[in-house]
Amino acid sequence: MYVIGNRGWGLGIGVLLLLGSEAQAQGVLRGTVRDTQGVPVRGASVVVPGTTLSARTGLDGRYRVANVPAGLVRVHAAAIGYARVDTTVAIPLGDSTTVEFTLSFAPLSLPPVDVISGKVPHFGDRPATSVTQVTERDLDRRAVSTVDEAIDHAPGVQFVNGQVNLRGSTGYVQGLNSRVLMTVDGVPMNQGDRGGINWDLLAVDDIESVEILKGAGSSLYGSAAFGGVVNLTTRDVPSGVHARVRLTGGMYADPPHAIWRFRDRAGLHGSADFSASYGNEVLGGRISAGDRHSEGYREQDQQDHLHFAGKGRWQLAPNTRVDLSGSWAVDRYDVPLSWCSRGECDDRGQVFQPFKVDTTELGARTDSRKGYLAAQVRQTVSPKLVWVARGSWLRTHFVDVRRSTTEFGVGNRFGAEARVEAHPEPSRTVVVGAEATFADVDSDIFGTHSQSEFAAYGQSDQRVGPLRVSGGARLDFMAVDGGSLTAFVSPRVGLTLPTDRREGDGGLLRASVGRGFRSPTMAERFVRTVALGFQIVPNPTLRPETAWSFEIGHISAPLLRFMRLDAALFWTEARDLIEPQVLLIPPDTVVIQLQNVVRARIAGVDASVIAAPIPERLIATLGYTFLATRRSLAGDSTHGPLAFRPRHLLTLGADYRLGVFGVGADVRFASRPERIELEGFVDERRVPVRVLDLRGSWRHGPVEIRVLAANVLNYIYNLVPETLAPVRTITVTGVWSH
Amino acid sequence: MLWLCLAVVAGCSGDLEPEPICAPTLVGVCGTLRFRGAIPDSTDNVFIAAYATFPQTCNDLINNRQPFIPSSVPYTDSVAPYSVELSPGTYEWVVAVWKKVGNLTLSPADTALLRVAGYYRAFIDTMSPGQVTVPTGAYAGDIDFFVDFDNLRPATDFVTCT
Repeated sequence: MYVIGNRGWGLGIGVLLLLGSEAQAQGVLRGTVRDTQGVPVRGASVVVPGTTLSARTGLDGRYRVANVPAGLVRVHAAAIGYARVDTTVAIPLGDSTTVEFTLSFAPLSLPPVDVISGKVPHFGDRPATSVTQVTERDLDRRAVSTVDEAIDHAPGVQFVNGQVNLRGSTGYVQGLNSRVLMTVDGVPMNQGDRGGINWDLLAVDDIESVEILKGAGSSLYGSAAFGGVVNLTTRDVPSGVHARVRLTGGMYADPPHAIWRFRDRAGLHGSADFSASYGNEVLGGRISAGDRHSEGYREQDQQDHLHFAGKGRWQLAPNTRVDLSGSWAVDRYDVPLSWCSRGECDDRGQVFQPFKVDTTELGARTDSRKGYLAAQVRQTVSPKLVWVARGSWLRTHFVDVRRSTTEFGVGNRFGAEARVEAHPEPSRTVVVGAEATFADVDSDIFGTHSQSEFAAYGQSDQRVGPLRVSGGARLDFMAVDGGSLTAFVSPRVGLTLPTDRREGDGGLLRASVGRGFRSPTMAERFVRTVALGFQIVPNPTLRPETAWSFEIGHISAPLLRFMRLDAALFWTEARDLIEPQVLLIPPDTVVIQLQNVVRARIAGVDASVIAAPIPERLIATLGYTFLATRRSLAGDSTHGPLAFRPRHLLTLGADYRLGVFGVGADVRFASRPERIELEGFVDERRVPVRVLDLRGSWRHGPVEIRVLAANVLNYIYNLVPETLAPVRTITVTGVWSH
Repeated sequence: MLWLCLAVVAGCSGDLEPEPICAPTLVGVCGTLRFRGAIPDSTDNVFIAAYATFPQTCNDLINNRQPFIPSSVPYTDSVAPYSVELSPGTYEWVVAVWKKVGNLTLSPADTALLRVAGYYRAFIDTMSPGQVTVPTGAYAGDIDFFVDFDNLRPATDFVTCT
């Protein structure tokens, strides 16, 4: 595996030295991708296999691929929900060729994998690890209002009070870490200080699709990708003038029991988003702004959110593109830290009041500001070589206002990366790159600290007959506060094997094994605050978490012509997991400290089924994840399950479309977690999750109206101790697109 | 439709529901126990008993308890609500009893397995047992007190055993 990675470096540098020799014998491929009704298909991939050349269609379905080698060239076009089309085109020397693609609707076709594998060399095939995609169409039909809602229903994904779990990776530690990396257009966006994810960094209306890479991704993405990667792809800037307005309004259900009532009328929420863009073949820009207000579904749960985002593209040369993007979001939200237990409020004779808060926390709120700037240059040097360079800056700022104290934190994360993608031979691809990250924090609870990370990575894919073998590794060096460097090696190997001859749409076996790690965040090392009435003390000696992950999976060919199954067995052996521990300091002081105390195993099955019994009208999906977790403490022979991991996670969905109308439903079930953290110190009450969402839509020309009734049965549940999950929420959304 | 049916069936029950400390139909006492100290390994259970008159002997302790079969109170959380059905009347001692692993014989010898873990105290005198009156057809609520696993006291601290 290391040999493959090292060869990749050599090959990449070698190919780099051959720049330009092929630049003369090239042409341009352009055209439009439409469906069988003649409607432009947005976001379709047009790929020249065996090369670095590819393009995505814009809003008008148009694409343009430069630097295509002259002569006969094989080209394919693919889009989610459509059958892939392959063709061979004659490209004249120094001229452009127009190729029009017509894609037929095929809901069972495998979606093209591009963005999440932007770092992963591929041949247009599925990668060796599990990938789930949430498309723009999914976002639209589900009528969600926030990015985390958009991801929450994907198979194997569960949000636990804002923290994302891919196959049970993260668990839950309030705001102090994430074992999942979020990237925006490939740029890492986990907070510099706490390592967490700001899901409100971007409005859902700015998102075109989401790709979720499950399993350890450290071999390419480094520390935070211990449990996987979630990539948000923002909307591209199409040619011409475009605008979009999105308005939402809705209400929260009252508590289902009169004794839980806490206000005289239903809580309301609403938002307004606007975006506009202009682009031509050389330049393009998009701006968006939005505001959201919610009265919340609980006492002291008001939220205000304001955001701005922008994106620009500049086709500097036919083969060179510059992208700039950024966002700024301001939030102010009340903090219902925990629900009211008996005696902590006017409990009306109840053991607990889930809609009310402890009166000692009345007035608690958080003011939060966060934003990022990112720039990327991508140059297609030749059909065999692309280089990419990017820089980014993420800034987060929060002030927690509590009755007893006020806490603040300012974190920065600066990142830079350079990468070379090469196709030295049609049957081989190579990616090599280097990445540097500097993060700092200034906070009264985390102190003033910094963390530097430097990494080099390489990965190569090789076709051997029907097999595709990939191997690579990443070497990370880290230093805290300018101290000594600590090194980590994260290797990974994988292979895929087609199980029938239908290229691109047939069955596929996949297997992979890789090592992941996660460096403790500065917040985990240095936090000093009070929570649950206990002092939390720092632990600067925390060690990184490490894990080996194994996976074997299979995507079936279409079964009975109307369904497809994707299933994977996964197994992760982790060491030094970081969990909060309660310590007794004699004679009678109890404190909480984050410690490396756990060896853990997360194993299970992740399966999804998509069925289209009535093509173009009825689509049904099923996702099921079985988790078997085990945790053992250092020096203790007893075992138990990991906290906040439900053993069963089930999602069901169905959508029916008839003309301009559509209806759909989602069901989400999660079994009751067997264990929570800090047992004995918090209310351990918890129940399974059983939530039903219903939705409907009407579309006419540029206008679309959607109605979403989330948690329509008003099922009352909690995912973490003493924190009520959302009640029934009705949302009406109107979208106008030009 | 199949999905919808599944959802409706699955979503009908099992969620969080109001949990009155004192059920409206209760005739007896109810309140909250707050636990402190380390739970002994030999713990079998913790239960609440009430005495109309303060017991004087081990025999009183065993024979005058109410209810006849006290029910256990969960003790692994830091706080637990409890309710005990009792006949209307006045009770001089409402006590949390810790029981170690072993079989009871309903004789004074049981006191070897039992300890006083805490009791309801009079508001104005935190050392003395508080008197509780169960009204006819209703309950006495807010009978809250501590259970201290680090201070389990033998019956002989309170009564005479011969």
